[in-house]
Amino acid sequence: MNNSIINSKQMVRLKGIAASPGIVIGKVFTLTGDVVKVEERNISPEQVSNEVEKFNRAIELTLNELAEIQDQAKQKIGKEGEKIFNAHQLLLDDKIINEETIRKIQKDCKNADFAYYQVMQKFQSSLEGVDNEYFMGRVADIRDVKRRLIRNIQGKEPHYLNGLTNPAIIVAHDLTPSDTVVLDRQKVLAFATDRGGRTSHAAIMARSLEIPSVVGLKNITEIVETGDTIIVDGTEGIAIINPNSSEMNRYVKLREQYHEITKELSKIRDLPCRTLDGKDVELSANLEFPGEINSIITYGARGIGLFRTENLYLTKTELPTEEEQFDEYYKVAEKVSPYPVIIRTLDIGGDKKSPIFEIPEEDNPFLGWRAIRLCLEKVELFKTQLSAILRASVMGNVKIMFPMISCLEEIYQAKKIFAQVKDELRSRKTPFDENIEIGVMIEIPSAAIMADIIAEEVDFLSIGTNDLIQYTLAVDRGNVRVANLYKRLPPSVLRTIKSVVHAGHSKGVWIGMCGEMAADPLATLILLGLDLDELSVSPSMLPEVKKIIRTITFQDAEKIADKALQMKTSEQVETYIRNVMSTRYKLTIN
Amino acid sequence: MIIKKIKILNSMGLHARPAAQFVKIASNYKSNVYISRNDREVNGKSIMGVMTLAAEMGSELTIKVDGHDEKQALAALVDLVNHKFNEE
Repeated sequence: MNNSIINSKQMVRLKGIAASPGIVIGKVFTLTGDVVKVEERNISPEQVSNEVEKFNRAIELTLNELAEIQDQAKQKIGKEGEKIFNAHQLLLDDKIINEETIRKIQKDCKNADFAYYQVMQKFQSSLEGVDNEYFMGRVADIRDVKRRLIRNIQGKEPHYLNGLTNPAIIVAHDLTPSDTVVLDRQKVLAFATDRGGRTSHAAIMARSLEIPSVVGLKNITEIVETGDTIIVDGTEGIAIINPNSSEMNRYVKLREQYHEITKELSKIRDLPCRTLDGKDVELSANLEFPGEINSIITYGARGIGLFRTENLYLTKTELPTEEEQFDEYYKVAEKVSPYPVIIRTLDIGGDKKSPIFEIPEEDNPFLGWRAIRLCLEKVELFKTQLSAILRASVMGNVKIMFPMISCLEEIYQAKKIFAQVKDELRSRKTPFDENIEIGVMIEIPSAAIMADIIAEEVDFLSIGTNDLIQYTLAVDRGNVRVANLYKRLPPSVLRTIKSVVHAGHSKGVWIGMCGEMAADPLATLILLGLDLDELSVSPSMLPEVKKIIRTITFQDAEKIADKALQMKTSEQVETYIRNVMSTRYKLTIN
Repeated sequence: MIIKKIKILNSMGLHARPAAQFVKIASNYKSNVYISRNDREVNGKSIMGVMTLAAEMGSELTIKVDGHDEKQALAALVDLVNHKFNEE
């Protein structure tokens, strides 16, 4: 029908699920080894004990193999990778499955691999129709264990990947976690599979190994053969088999663009956040959901300056358990290590309502029962979180921060409860970081005024500008009638920041900032000049803020901050800064 | 033999780790433990069986325990489920 196709093979475009980003063009290597062939055979009664023995030996052998793979997973991926294979070992050790298999060998006189296959199939099929991504993901785990054991019963070489001699794009029905781990990274350009979802274990591993992948392509294994040319776009979730020349050209360009962007980002990413005269500023990121942690690292964050824990409470219908919280905190701390992560205790109330507990209607929710005030009353809830944070602190890089502190008494109370939780952990012989740093947020004017006294009780202060501006100016930014009174760089707040930094430094504690102002490029020169030690910003703003800091000397920034603080209105401050940035530093800011 | 209906309360459902816990506790008792959902019954001492029930949060299960320590076994299992598999 279409005569213009030059390729002998038809171009096929498939849409799947983007599992790991990146664009790769290359040759296909199909993983045929992942299909196990099991034949049904009848055995004589004399062979039964031999067949049972074969089955038991295969289990032992497989357990040994898994231990080895688990070791590799631990090295390449970390604790998370290790855990996945714990489940595999449990599956292999399932007494019911194994007893049923042995019974089948003995009673029906069938070969071991067939007996095991049938027993496993019976269970596995019940999961395949389930419409829940999590449970569907477990099918790959079960297949992995099943395949490996059957291969060992049959005495086949497990290294069917040996045929992979040149770098290629692996196409398979479903990648199992163990395949993903043992594959030689040098030879695997990308993955494309029929099955799988974003949360399947193989997809998670592909992302951490930075192998571009598209999964859930349904029938790609039926369409391609080894040696075909294929484009894998792991950013969009697309696979193009035997691309025509125009599609090929388009993707060569897209691949270049992708490389350019990542190169540009990585150029600044790996540079220190340092002024021209050598002063370093800690540039960290705010973390909303633990799942964002990888992209935050891509943006070049050196640590997490604010880990908001509210989402653990807001997105659920029940209170998160200590275990659940510990898992999340530990995962993040492990990922960020050796850089620090500051975990802020629950900051709920105000505009953040939770479906889990009732916060009664209040006339002034922003001046009401929220954050630390709520936690100090709901002591058990508070203790659960503190205990989870403390346990995660064994990583050695965890710091804790209390929000909405308005007076010294609240710090005393919070620290008392914190000490109780530490005692409980000690008596349970549960390890934690005995030197964990404690900080508070400075976001209420009374705390800012008392910053020198507060600083005596803590290791660091972090200025939360959103609330500090709102409380200093007495403006609810969500109220359209008064929103125009909410300013970007109000001189009153700049003066407050200056005095907080001064108060903190005089007591030897470090000062950070985690509100929106920290990420505002228009504020960067002032904040640098005011001598803040740390800025925690939303990840996408990291490169821009860093670029500005790298353009100037600290000395000059101090002078600019001085001048800005002499301005009488927010508009004057803004005009002055824009002017300095464009004329002196050729920087334009929106 | 005693039978009891229960409801899965933890948000992730009866996935790998809770299933492993269930199996471990069930295996501590001599009694036979069966667990069923939508007419599909599995052995409560098999992780493969329990996991493949694919019991999400809110799903209703029937636990059937048969043996001389059935009362204790059932109490321990119901307790585990009602406490949302707390100590994982």
